[in-house]
Amino acid sequence: MKQFWYGLVLFLFLALPPVRHLLESIMAFHMHMQMPLLFVSGLLMAPFFMKRFRQFFGKWNGSGLPGIILFLIIVMYWMVPKAMDESLEIMAVEAFKFISLPFLAGVPLRDSWSKIGKATESILLLVLAILFSIMAYLYIFFESTLCNNYLLVDQKTVGWGFAFFSLCLILYLVLTLFTDQSQYYDEAST
Amino acid sequence: MANTIQTHMKNNTLPLVHFFLAFIMLLIGGTLGLLQGLNRGGVFELPASFNYYEVLTLHGILLILAFTTLFTNGYLYAAIRHTLGELSKTVKILAWSSLASFLIGSLLVVWMVLAGEATVMYTFYPPMQASPWFYIGLVFVVLCIWLAGLGVFISAFQWKRRNKGQHLPILAFFAVGIYTLVIFGSLGVTVEVLMLIPWAFGWTETINVMLSRTLFWSFGHTLVNVWYLVAISVWYTILPKIIGGRIFSDTLARLVVILIVILNVPGGFHHQIVDPAFSEGLKFMHVFMSLSIAFPSLMTAFAMFAVLERTGRKRGGRGLLGWLWVLPWGDVRFLTIMIAMISFIIGGAGGIAQTNNQLNQVVHNSLWVVGHFHITVGVTVVMTFFGLVYWLIPHLSGRVMTPFIHHLGMFQTATWTVGMALMALSMHAVGLFGAPRRTSYTTYGDSATALGWEPYLSFLATGGTLLFFGVILIVYIVFHLMFFAPKGDTPFMDSRVEDNAHPTPKWTENWGLWVIVAILIISMGYVVPLVDLIENAPPGSPPHRTW
Repeated sequence: MKQFWYGLVLFLFLALPPVRHLLESIMAFHMHMQMPLLFVSGLLMAPFFMKRFRQFFGKWNGSGLPGIILFLIIVMYWMVPKAMDESLEIMAVEAFKFISLPFLAGVPLRDSWSKIGKATESILLLVLAILFSIMAYLYIFFESTLCNNYLLVDQKTVGWGFAFFSLCLILYLVLTLFTDQSQYYDEAST
Repeated sequence: MANTIQTHMKNNTLPLVHFFLAFIMLLIGGTLGLLQGLNRGGVFELPASFNYYEVLTLHGILLILAFTTLFTNGYLYAAIRHTLGELSKTVKILAWSSLASFLIGSLLVVWMVLAGEATVMYTFYPPMQASPWFYIGLVFVVLCIWLAGLGVFISAFQWKRRNKGQHLPILAFFAVGIYTLVIFGSLGVTVEVLMLIPWAFGWTETINVMLSRTLFWSFGHTLVNVWYLVAISVWYTILPKIIGGRIFSDTLARLVVILIVILNVPGGFHHQIVDPAFSEGLKFMHVFMSLSIAFPSLMTAFAMFAVLERTGRKRGGRGLLGWLWVLPWGDVRFLTIMIAMISFIIGGAGGIAQTNNQLNQVVHNSLWVVGHFHITVGVTVVMTFFGLVYWLIPHLSGRVMTPFIHHLGMFQTATWTVGMALMALSMHAVGLFGAPRRTSYTTYGDSATALGWEPYLSFLATGGTLLFFGVILIVYIVFHLMFFAPKGDTPFMDSRVEDNAHPTPKWTENWGLWVIVAILIISMGYVVPLVDLIENAPPGSPPHRTW
């Protein structure tokens, strides 16, 4: 329950007009700070919904795969430059961003994470790494602005941000494949 | 086991050679510091052939690059040999190669400065251009750090393989953290130097000044925190043993190491808070990033007070502050480290003040900043180093400290403390009055403002002179303990945790994850400004020679 409140406070904080304005004024902050934080707020709130709507999640996300697919659809939608432009210009799209990232990406992913196996986890990480690499390439090397609201230099910055995101995901994937991560999460030892 | 000097010396040649060279560097660097202090105090004029700026460059390089690097490598290799067992052949080769690389680099760097080809201060900011061989020397210095780090990582890896499921001993954990941090920190400066070399050879015409400065400070600031991390490794793991206590919390110590490693590198921006080319938003964002580093420091302060109080009460201290008076103030091994920790309260507070945008405007490029780093490095770090030598050098050389050396050590500590207090505090004060740093003595045509600095500068020169005597004393003490003290066994002073301590969580050992988190945080800090500095760069600067 504590996590739910942390998530809710984060969600409300991100929704405050000055915070929204600040984070949306710089493309890198918009895409690599506001959006991931909205997603994180959903991750934090997820246990509350999972407990509250256990039957719903059991019925519609029994294997965890539907949740993963929904998460990927939402993430990919927000990778589209036009979607980001529209969120700055159309209030309904902005509202959709604040609903979709926490509740249609964060919550389903957390619910699915415990249900999917190691192999699916690795595939998901690989898919995200590839997706972010493509975005990095697109944003760094495209010679005209993809987002009307931002400058070309902002676009390149986001591209490099994606490159580092992708690098970190690949490194984490390698780490999970070649080391036994469970050894670090047993009970404490002396 | 028979205790012979030869056996000790043979087993511990690597750290002993490092310490020997480190204190030679301290002697030369300290002598240069004296010349600088006396010149800045208006006592005498340096000759044009060996001017203030050349002295300043060498003083900086020899003390804050050479002395600290050599000491750190010597201490940490002694520590991992003690905690993880005998170094493997590969690790020894790496460690000696590291030292060789360092010597090659240092010789090139010092040679170029003495030849008047590299009077660029230790920060070597472009567009001032040194000889390319100066920068090539720096490449070897960085290579030294990487090789030393690789040796420590291999040692830790081998130990973990032999001791599956066990926690890396705390001192070795610190060593891994320290070298991880310094390697991360050195990436930026490596890129910078690799841009400067072709520019210095004339293969490229111009240099991106702001990009170079930014890459430099990703290293410069991290280096400061590497020294600090080395110092706190002593505070956490060695100080409790000296005062007869135990480590307060193994988990807290490891968490502090992890936090410092992952949070540190983006803190470099507070050194550039007055630089042009950064938007205000970025500067404010980086205030947060810089101040985040204060958090593990405050955790350290908490842990240190806890250790001191618990031990003081165990020693019979009563009442609110009774535990403080019963601590072994007469033991030089404690006194040095205690003064180092107290000075960090002042230095840390000054650092937090300087991180703030408006306060930084007041003291930027003034002698205040020089005072600040003389307190943090010159007392917090260096006094901790001095506190180590009284038992570590005899431990390595198979000797024991005599009462005479102990008394001399107490005198040295007093000399150093008074000298640094006079010098650093007068620097802070005169800096607030506007006296610039990195400036040879001048009264600016007898301007009233500059003449008002005179008394403070005299204190600065007096403090510098006392510090020089402190250097002579500590070098004498080190060499005496290394070569002339009576034979005997001095134990390695590492502490144990409390008997009823909470078990340390296993996640602290997940270095792979911490490295990835560090990369993520460094990219968060640097992607936005670096892309901006590259994409929106003005025409680069041609080289300038200001000397």
